Formats: sequence, C-alpha cells, structure tokens
Amino acid sequence: MSITLFIPPPLRSECAGATELNVPGASVRDLLAELERRHPALYRNVCHETGSIRRHVNLFVNDDHIRDRQGLDTPLTAGDTVYILPSVSGG
Amino acid sequence: MADTIVLALGTRKGLFIAHGSKSRKSFTLHGPFGPGVAVYSALIDTRGRGRIFASSCNAFFGRKVLTSKDMGRKFKETAAAPAFPKDDGRALANIWALETGADKKEILAGVEPASLFRSSDGGDSWEMVEGINNHEHARQWQPGAGGMCMHTIIRDGNRIHLGISTGGHYLSEDGGQSFKAANTGVGAGFVPDPFPEFGQCVHKIVNHPDAPGRLYMQNHGGWAEWDGPGGPRPDIGVLRSDDHGHTWRSIAKGLPTDFGFPLAVHPHDPDTVYVVPLEPMTRTCPGAAPAVWRSENGGDSWSRLTRGFPKKNSFFTVLRDALDIDDRKSPALYLGTTTGQLWIGRDGGEEWECLFDSLPPIHCVKVAAM
Repeated sequence: MSITLFIPPPLRSECAGATELNVPGASVRDLLAELERRHPALYRNVCHETGSIRRHVNLFVNDDHIRDRQGLDTPLTAGDTVYILPSVSGG
Repeated sequence: MADTIVLALGTRKGLFIAHGSKSRKSFTLHGPFGPGVAVYSALIDTRGRGRIFASSCNAFFGRKVLTSKDMGRKFKETAAAPAFPKDDGRALANIWALETGADKKEILAGVEPASLFRSSDGGDSWEMVEGINNHEHARQWQPGAGGMCMHTIIRDGNRIHLGISTGGHYLSEDGGQSFKAANTGVGAGFVPDPFPEFGQCVHKIVNHPDAPGRLYMQNHGGWAEWDGPGGPRPDIGVLRSDDHGHTWRSIAKGLPTDFGFPLAVHPHDPDTVYVVPLEPMTRTCPGAAPAVWRSENGGDSWSRLTRGFPKKNSFFTVLRDALDIDDRKSPALYLGTTTGQLWIGRDGGEEWECLFDSLPPIHCVKVAAM
C-alpha cells in the first residue's frame, strides 16, 4: 500500500528535489523503515539513530499529529498523506 | 609557502570564512555556509591539498559535517555524520570538536553526548572509538551548562588527550585503544570531593609540539569563595601538566579570576600561553574591560594585554574554542565574542583591532595559513 509522503522544502535536497514521495507502509513505523531503506539521508533528517523522531520534527497523517493518534503505530490506509513538518521556532 | 590566512568562524547562524593576506591587514568575509544553523566546531586541515571541515548542528534535522576543498568558497555535506549504533541508546546531539588524526587523512570528532568518533575517508563515514565511548565512566558523566560534550581532542603521537565537560581529562597512551581518567590535581567545585577521580568540568586543554609532556588546562574555576562542603577551592581554574597530563598544578596566581573558557599557546614558544579570564557569575570580562592575559614563563606570572580593546562597558564572553593564534613569525591572535565581534591581536596580542563587529554570536575561531 503506497502512501504519499510530503517533503518540506528544507529536506528536498535529500531526495533529488522531490516534493512528494510514494512510500509503502501499513503504519508510520513501517513507512519510516521503508524510508530509511530507500532514502537513508532523508531518513536521518527525520529520525535519530535510535529510531525516534527528532524533537523538532512533526509527522502528521492527513490533519492529525501522530502524537494525537497512536504515535509510530498510527495505521495508514491507501490515500493517506503523511506530512513531515519542522516545528516553528528559532531566534 | 602558504600565502593566505584563513579564518573559520563558527557562529550561531552558520559558518563564516575570512581570507586575509600575509600582512593580515584586512580580511574578506564569505558566508554564512550552512546558513541559520549553529556551528560549534571547525577544522582547517592543512594536510595534503587542504580542506576545511565544520559541524553544522541543525536543531530540526540533526547534525551534519560540512567540508570545503577550495579554502572555504564552497561547502558541501559529507556523506555521513558521526552516529551511535542503533542499539546504543545514545543519539548525537552536537559536534563540539573536529581535529586531525593519526595519519594524513584521519579526522577525529568529539561529540555530545561525550564520545569520540574517527573517520578515515574525509568525513564520509565514521566509526565509534569504543575505548572512550564505552568507558566504565561514560554513563556517569554529567552535562555541564553547554551539554555533555567532548570538546578537546589532542593527538600527540600515540597519546590522545580528551577534554570532557563534565567528565574531566582522559588520556590514551595506546593510540586510542584504551583511556584512563588523568585528573590528579584537577579540582571540581560542584561536588563534595574537591579532587574527584573524574567528573571535572574541564573547559579546554592545549599543548605544544616543542614541549613534550607539557599541557595547559582551563578548568571550571571560580570557587575561591565557595563555602559549601569541602570548603573554598581557590586557583583550580588554570592548570599545567609536565608529565603528559598525569598530574596537574595550578598556574592561576596573578590572574584576576581563574574562571574562563579558552587557552592558546604561542606557536614558537611553549612557555607563552594566553587565557581570557571571565567573572565566574556573569562569564564576562572583569570590570567590563576586555583583556587577554599572557604568561611568558609557563604560568609563573601573567600580564594583561588591553591595547586596542574598549576600556569600559564591554561585556565580552569568549567561549572555549573562540581563541586561536596563527603560526606566522610574529603571530596574531584571533578572538571571537558571543556579541559577534572578531578581534585580531597583532604582535602576539600587543595590539588589538576589531576585524568584524556585527557577526552572529561566535562559538569557535580557527586560523591557518593555506
């Protein structure tokens, strides 16, 4: 089952400029595992080497932050879009 | 003969490179590279054709290593940054030190959480140095205010000296296979035992190739008035070793305060050492009057270098890697402040001039002739 993965502008250089990727996965965890296989450099920008999502990176499934669903175990279904979005912060 | 003086300036908003002629009268600024991302460490590697490396510590997307093959006109990411094994449980939080390693290509990286990595292919792949990363003390080290960082790496033949905050000084005498805490005489003011085996908040260590075994250390001083358990600990902040770091003694007498971050040694005289004393509470220069202090006798006495600096109302903070000295016949020092000023101290620090006065906060300053 292929899911649309939205790539934010700062990370597009890690996947040849793509704005979206089609990545299979029955859950967010599966999708990230496949992302690591297909695009390891992009994956490293999203997750620590421990496998946890970086503190200032947010993943949404459609309109829902995964923390408000089932985290990495949030199920995915055909037609879903997963958004990678950096937090808004700075100074 | 190298004829360009290259400065690598790691700032809170990226890496800047400045090029100057041999006269060092003026410098041209390039950058920022890795714009908007903090740079805590840089290395001007003059081996071979010469390369510049810098860490780029993106709070969003992780830590990278940048490299340039053209003296800092263009940078690109290396293929990989240091990373812990997946089952280790630790995750890279920052890259605090980049240094040359054992041969013509090896690069060493000191990171947060305090660990050492080495690369033998110019930073495209990294391996963990087990002897320190899995040292029996490693899980007992505690973070200082800046994080639990390995900030100092000194390669001296088969010896490797490491400075860890807060972990102390660790020494390998077998090329990095094994390490031992080597902190005899290194005090700590924030634990009941004034001289623990390890856990000191070492700020910086430097050596000199012409004085085998000699090291200078800026430790976390400022405990002269301490009235907690163990009592006052004056003069534990500036130290010297003459036995490859096995034992240390204070050389802080004569300084206005023994707190500070950076150290530098004169390239042609191992007895000439520079420190930047800071008020321990504010971590700014005493009396709001910037000064670099120089000893020309290995720390037995100190003199205050102020010519060219503001005389008042100037609250400089100079961080652990923000002081360096070039290797010219009459060397110049380069000092960066957290208020974004880069100063040059010509003639060994006799005369100071502000080269750039409105950079982002400066974390590190490295200089080399290329």
